[in-house]
Order: sequence, then C-alpha cells, then structure tokens
Amino acid sequence: MLFDKHFDVIVCGGGHAGAEAALAASRMGASTLLLTGNLDTIGQMSCNPAIGGLAKGQMVREIDALGGEMAINTDLTAIQFRLLNESKGPAVQSPRAQCDKKAYQFRLKHTLELQPNLQLFQAMVTGLIVESRTVLGCRTNLDLEFRGSTVVVTTGTFLRGLMHIGENRNEGGRLGDFSSRTLSDSFVSAGIELRRFKTGTPPRLLGSSINFSVMQEQKGDPDPTCFAFHDTRDSEELFHVEQTGEGRAGWAPGAHKSSCWITYTSPRTSEIVNSNIHRSPLYAGRISGVGPRYCPSIEDKFVKFADKPRHMLFLEPEGRATNEYYVNGLSTSLPFEVQVEMVRSIPGLENAQILRPAYAIEYDYAPPTQLLRSLESRIVGSLFFAGQINGTSGYEEAAAQGLIAGVNAVCKVRGQEPLVMGRHESYIGVLIDDLVTKGTEEPYRMFTSRAEHRLMLNHGSAELRLIGHSERNKLLSKNRISRIHAKKVKIDDVVRELEGRRGESGSTLADQVRRNLAGVSYDSIREMLPPDLVAHGEAVLREAIYQVGYAGYLKREQRQIDKLAGAERVKIPLDFDFLGVRGIRRESAQKLAALRPETLGQAGRVSGVSPADITVIMALLAARGGETSAIP
Amino acid sequence: MPETTDTIAAPATPPGRSALAIVRISGPAASAIARQVFGIDALPRTATRADYFDESGVVLDDVLFTRYVAPSSYTGEDLVEISCHGSPLVVQRVLEDLIARGCRLAGPGEFTQRAFLNGRLDLSQAEAVMDVIHARGERALAAANRLLRGELGRRIREFVDALLLVLSRIEAHIDFPEEDLPAEDRGEMLSRLDSLGQGFNKLLATNNYGDILRHGAKVLIVGPTNAGKSSVLNRLVGIERALVSAEPGTTRDYIEEGIEIGGHEVRLIDTAGLNPAPGEIEKLGIDRTIQLLADSDFFLLVIDRTARVQIDPTVLSLMPDSRSVLILNKTDIGGDRPTLSPALARLPAIEVSALTGAGCDAIIEFIGGKLAAMSEDIGESGIAINVRHAEALRRAESGVSDATEKLVAGEPMELIASCLRESLAALGDIAGRIDNERMLDRLFSNFCIGK
Repeated sequence: MLFDKHFDVIVCGGGHAGAEAALAASRMGASTLLLTGNLDTIGQMSCNPAIGGLAKGQMVREIDALGGEMAINTDLTAIQFRLLNESKGPAVQSPRAQCDKKAYQFRLKHTLELQPNLQLFQAMVTGLIVESRTVLGCRTNLDLEFRGSTVVVTTGTFLRGLMHIGENRNEGGRLGDFSSRTLSDSFVSAGIELRRFKTGTPPRLLGSSINFSVMQEQKGDPDPTCFAFHDTRDSEELFHVEQTGEGRAGWAPGAHKSSCWITYTSPRTSEIVNSNIHRSPLYAGRISGVGPRYCPSIEDKFVKFADKPRHMLFLEPEGRATNEYYVNGLSTSLPFEVQVEMVRSIPGLENAQILRPAYAIEYDYAPPTQLLRSLESRIVGSLFFAGQINGTSGYEEAAAQGLIAGVNAVCKVRGQEPLVMGRHESYIGVLIDDLVTKGTEEPYRMFTSRAEHRLMLNHGSAELRLIGHSERNKLLSKNRISRIHAKKVKIDDVVRELEGRRGESGSTLADQVRRNLAGVSYDSIREMLPPDLVAHGEAVLREAIYQVGYAGYLKREQRQIDKLAGAERVKIPLDFDFLGVRGIRRESAQKLAALRPETLGQAGRVSGVSPADITVIMALLAARGGETSAIP
Repeated sequence: MPETTDTIAAPATPPGRSALAIVRISGPAASAIARQVFGIDALPRTATRADYFDESGVVLDDVLFTRYVAPSSYTGEDLVEISCHGSPLVVQRVLEDLIARGCRLAGPGEFTQRAFLNGRLDLSQAEAVMDVIHARGERALAAANRLLRGELGRRIREFVDALLLVLSRIEAHIDFPEEDLPAEDRGEMLSRLDSLGQGFNKLLATNNYGDILRHGAKVLIVGPTNAGKSSVLNRLVGIERALVSAEPGTTRDYIEEGIEIGGHEVRLIDTAGLNPAPGEIEKLGIDRTIQLLADSDFFLLVIDRTARVQIDPTVLSLMPDSRSVLILNKTDIGGDRPTLSPALARLPAIEVSALTGAGCDAIIEFIGGKLAAMSEDIGESGIAINVRHAEALRRAESGVSDATEKLVAGEPMELIASCLRESLAALGDIAGRIDNERMLDRLFSNFCIGK
C-alpha cells in the first residue's frame, strides 16, 4: 500500500544523524518524514552518555551555528560540564558534557514531535524504490510504501549488524534492537558498494554494587561551558525550560551535577585477559570488520601495549533517574563469564553487578567516496547518506552529517546549490571533505589534528565562521542572524580598543596580549577595558582577545587559504575522463578516476597526485573551454 | 580574480649551463622588487639593460629585464623576466636573492596555474603547456626520486621521523587530554628539537660543499695593490705563471689557477689590487673583484706586513670571518709591524714570505683544514643539495627554531604544533607531501589511546 502523502524529504533512521536531518529539512520548510524502527530510541546514546570533547565539541558548536539541535539538547540535559585543554591554547579547547541519557532522548523526541512540517512514523525500512538511477521512496516491513523527492539514509550500525559476546552471536543493530538485512541487499542491487566495520562497547554496571570510595572522583567545572550560543539564540528557547508547558525534558545548564569516577585495571585483569585471549572473537578470527585504533578493546590494549602495566577506566553515570554506570575504557568481546571475572578484578568493582554485557558489533557501511560533497550518492540520484553508514563513529560526527544531508536534500528539491563548507571554515567541512575525498580505513573520528587550519576553528567563533552559510540557507531565525551580525560588530569594537589603547608600559593592550600569550589571563584583560566594552559580555571579549592574540597566526593561515582558494573554486565536470588525459601519470589517473574529485582543490588532496598532474588537468579544463569562465 | 597574495620566482629555462637563463617573478610585489634590484623603473614590455644588485648592494650580473603589468602578462599578474648569464651559479644567486627579498620559490607548473586561474590561458597555449609541464614534471620527479633514494633521501626521512615523533606526542596530549599518557616533557622535546635544528644546519652547510664538489673550491686572493698577491698565488701553484711586476695594478682583471688540496679541486683566483684611487681600467677590475667575492668560498686577504693598510669596508663585509685568513706578506723585509685595524685584527693571520716561500705551507693547511671540516660535517655521503632543497630546509629549520622559542617561553602547545607542522610541510616539499595519517599512525602505535 502506498502512503497517501508525497514528501520532499524522507529520513530513514532516528539516531543523531536522522534527527538533525529531519529537523534541518523541516525547519527549512520542506515537508519531511522521519521513519524509525522504534520511536522510543530516537537520539539514543548507544555508547557512552557524553557529548563533545576534542574537535567533537567544536563540531557541536558548529551544529548550533547552523541551526541544529545537538548543542541545545546537550546543554539542557547535561549532568556534568567540563572544558578540556584549558592550558593548551584557545583553539584546542573543547567543551564536553555528560548527559542524562534518557532526558536527552526524551527532549530530542519531543522536539521532533513539536516540529512543524515534520511527520514521525514507526516502521522498519526494508528497501529503496529506485528507478533509472534515482530514488523515489522506500518500502517498509508494514508493506507501506513512502514516496519522496529525496531520501536521507541514516541507519547507523543497523545494516546486517552482528553482535559478538565470546562465541555467542546475535543479529541486531544494538543490544535489544533489530538488524536490517534486506536494506543492505537493496543498496547492493542499486550498485552501492558496502564494506564491514567493527566497533565495541563496554559493560554497564549497577551503581549500588560499585565501591566508589577507592576511586578518584572527577567533578565537573563549577561554571558550565555551554555548547549552544546562548548569547545570540532566541530567548524563548533558553529560559523557563522547566516550564515549557509542553512537558519537554530538560533543565537550566548546570542545574544538575554528577561526578565520574576513575579506577585502573589490576595485574589480575591483565592475567585474565591474556589467558582468555583465544576466546575473543577478534583474536579467534571470527570478526572480519576493521575496528578503530582510537577505541581499542581491552584485549587489544593488553596485547598491543603489553609493557603498560595498567589501563585507566572511567565510570560515567548514565543519568539522574537510573543507577546504571558506563565503564569507559573496558570495551570487549570476551565471553560473558570472562567479563564477570575481569570486572571483579578491578579495584572498586569487586562486587559489581553487570546489567548489560560488553559486546563487539560488526556492521555494513557504504564507503563514503561514493558520495558527492553534498552527501548525495553519485550512484543513485536524490539519495543522501549521513552518519555511521558513511564509515564514521561518534554522535557528533553523525549529527553534523545529518544536518548537512538534511539541508542539501532540501537544496536538491528546490534546485539550489548545495551547502558545501571549506576545510578552513569548520570541522564539519574537514569531516565531509575527508570522507568523500579520501574515504576511511577505520571508523572515522574527528581529531583536531585533521584540520590544517586548526587555529581558525576555535569553538567560540563557530557562529562567526558559518554565518554566511546559515544566512544563505535560512537555517537561523532572522533575529538570531541580526544578533550574530551585531556580535561581530561588538567584537570588532573590542579588537579596535585593544589595538589602540596603551597600558602603563606604553605598549598597546594588544601587544601585551601577544607578547605574553602564556601569561595574560582573560580576567586581567577584562580589568583593563572600559566598562562599556566589558558590558558586551564574556563571549565577545574572549573572541576579541583570541583574534588579537593570534592575529599573526590567523593572518598566516588566511594567506595559505587564499593561495589555494582558486583551485578550490575550479570545478571538474562529473563526467571528466581522468583515464583519457594524455600526460598524467597512470597511477594518478587511476586514483582520480576512482575518487572522481569535484574540484581541482579536492583533486590536489588525493594522495600520490602531484602538482604536475594537477596542472595538466587544469590546462585540459582550460583547453576544453567554458570552465575558465566559471571562475569568479 | 582569485587572491594570490604572494610573489613567486623560478627559473623559466632548463637547469644547467647555457648562454642565457631566464628567471621569472610573478605576483603583486614583482614590480617593486624589480625597482629595488635594478634601481630603475623601466617601461613595461621593454627590455632594459641593468646591473642586478643583490640585497647587500653587490652586482651579481649584467642582465636584461622586462616588466609586464597585470593583467597583460603570461600569468595575468605583475611579472618580471630577468635574462641573465646562463651559469647555474648566477641563477642560484639571483634566486637566493629574490627569496631573501620575500619571493617564494615557485612550485612546478605554478606560473601556468596562475595563468589559468586568471583566465590567461587560451586553448592552443593550454595544449602546448600540458605537454611541456608533463615532461618537465616527469623529469623533475625522476630526478627527485633518484635523489631521495640516496643519502639525501635517508637524511630527510630521518628528519621527518624525528619531527613526527615530537609532533605526535604533542598531538596526543592535545587530542586526548583524558588519556593516561606519559607526562609532557618539555626538556626532552627541547633537546630533540635542538638536534633536529643542528641536523638541518649541517645539511644546509652542504649547500656550499655541494658546489665545491661540483665546481671546485674558489679561493679568492684579494688585497691592496703591490701587496704581493700574484707572488702568493705563484708560490701556492708552485710555478711562475702570473705576470708579476712591481708596478701597481698589473693584474687588471683576474687570473685563475687550479691546484689540489686534500683531494679537493681548488681554484685560486688572483684579483686586481684594491687601489684607494683607482684609474678607469682598474675600476673595472675592482668591480669584478666585488662580484667574485660574492661567489667565492675562501678568502686570502694579502697585505704588506710593513705597510699601514686600509681595506674598503664593502670588500671586508663580503668576506665572512670564518672563511677568511689574513696573509701578512714580506716577512723577508723585516722591521716593525704597524698595528692592524680592528677589522683586520680579528681575522686569523699567517705570516709568509712569498719571495722565499716561508710560511706558505700554512696557507695550504688552512684551506685543507676548512675543506676537511666541511666534508666531515656531511660524512662520506657527498650530498649536494640544490637551491630548492636549501630553501625548503631553511623553512624547516625556522619552523623548528620558532617552536623551540615558544617552548622556552611557555606558549600554548597548539602554537608549537603549528610551527612543527610548517617544518614538516617544508620537508614535504623535498620528500613529497606528508599526510596527517602518518602522524596519526605514529601516535596510535606509540600511545595506548582508548578511553
């Protein structure tokens, strides 16, 4: 049976990617449908109950700058805030928060429910409807068919998900959830390549069975560093969250505070792991998927770093209304009885009761080099992919892609240019460029080191960096846009004041900041400024101090960006025949033909492609004519 | 029009000896640099003859240059073409000078790329250029690969490795602050960066030694008229070849003799005497001497030990103390030695008599010792780095020394990482781009990350 309504955008999946995609599309005014196998697991944190951290925190702030939900949803359901890396420089400082897992989900679900233009429906997507290389909609397990102009796939680890606990194997996308086989088949028959990745998750423990007194307490910061830009957001979203009148979960940022706890593995843990290593599916060869290097299982840690006597573990609370604890650092696929023994060998966990076992999960992903920079499939038109299905890991990475895919699905429906961000503009830009240009050999996680212009991507400037994109695509309210512009003016005012005002020593305040990057504190600068500028608020002052202190570095970065800007703007036609180019090295031609970059700049980032190859392609584009005129 | 904020320079003619070589400069500063170098504002599109003055005011060559004004040039930017004599050394000096003036050495095909981006490439040009670029790119790649398979490649790989080690530690602490990592040890980092810096400088020193191996060490004999420069040369050569006369100014241009010291080819060059009041012809000779000074490896400043001597400060400024020696000639005459001016007194001195040959062995020992030290510095590898390598190594070195300064000042780690990345990118210009994946590989193999 065909559902009677035709949608602009159909989103398959209600995780972090799906929720952002559906919200972005419907907020832009497109008629949107979100299909999920289970409405109760909208925005579920399948792994640890935390948002943010290095590079991820910056990405969440970028999501807020582009009108997304993850930042505000975190702020209003967090039970611990911490600003990481305070001493290593302002560009690499990142906010991180522990969330109340259930409150996070409920608030997100409620937000989706209240969203105009968005319809939610619970059904399992079983296949795509594709005709002449274009997607027309999807089929579900209820024999209901849905038609839409575009489809955004955000199915996470649910494609042929296979969970391992020792010799035990269960099909499913997450413990307690289903897995989709037929959808994988549907992708393959549409010509989309799939590969296998692996990831894992640690056991969950009952808090009342844990002896916290032998552990080290990790408290949050007294003052929360929020993810959303509360200084420019519309006020109705910010205050009275407890009395929304609509029963939405959430509380004022910092209203609830919980601690994490640190303990370590013991020599006995190492013995248990080593003597049972043959029972780990990974070491027994039963897992074929590739796992992430930055998130190894405990067996990997003991095998690969045998000289390290102990490994640090964090116990993270899962929420206010539950006594469940997540054991960060103890991911494993060892058999359950070994897990019990292992857990009890850890100081403070001698009597711990496991509520859910640890497991490894293998799943299908679609190598993201099959995507355009808009996240639209190169193989099936109007079909977009976002999140873990693109080979990434992490809620933040997923949400960022979901947001962009949602926006670009609407752009596609409306015949507008897609939203594509440069690597110098945002971590989201780095993420998507890396994925579609290079692909990934392991589940991709964002690191600040991946951004060559890291110094320009400080978390506080996300709104300022992305205002062009959010304004062009109408992602923010008019009020917020004008508040961001006003904030820019205020920052410029403070910068001018710092550059012009002389302190007692005769040098300008700006010079004092620059000369003593290590020693000038925010508070000491604030004291030197006139009260009318201090009144602009902390966000404005901090950004101004940043711009002044790093002026030389930011200028240098900008020069490098300008140097490459020309090549970034030169488009390579999608049907460009790299293999037919006379005078380009065979090896480069094959790589380029496989990855099919969309711009000259992207082509230059393909490994092994030389500047000479790029010049040849460029000359050929010029010879073909027409392309040069596209250059502004 | 795309923003191109820097000005690039590179030879437009193939490397090697030829009658003429063309060096091209393109970018916003091209015209201003031409004005500084030639001291004149030539009409656009008109070949103008002029002396090329380097930053210290020394004439490097007598050249023809042509200025093109944006957008009417090959690249669509302000462009200057300098047509100089085709000696690789002259081209190298000109390039080094342009780099010192703020130009960046152009990458392969970069002029054409700018032409393309500025819409200056028409269909037929594009096709012709494609073949040329490709051929040149292939040649350059083959040459680079040959080089990298050898000793230079090994050294660069060691540098990359050492840099990645330091950088991956810093990055581990930046990206994984919650992990149980070994404590950051700024002292250890400093000592690693210090030895990297020394490595860069050692390799940079082979820039000169490479030239010496290829072309022989140039030993310039300079001094006032009638100090006995030609006699010293004759003593060193062991044969009476130079025309000697007691009348000042006999050697008007220069005379060159080749000898061998410690397995190195050494070219002794005798120059016109420095006369405080030179005649017309002598003036030409002295200009030539100044030109030779910029080109030489070692300097023998010959003076009459019994005379009061004043040496032109321009000449002295072109003779680095570490590569110069003062030859106090005419010990055979005897008598008191007048006090030397401070500028001369700080040079190492050797007393000789060119007439009897007494003390001349010490000159040979001096040159031999300097050459041996240079060769020792680079081991037995005989790496000969070129101007492109030297430029990249200097950038690599400055990245490391900036990082060191910031480490000492306690500046944020993200800035130190940024300096080291610049350094790594510079090495990438020699050895091929170094992807961030390499750093991550290093990081994950050295540190157990995984909260």
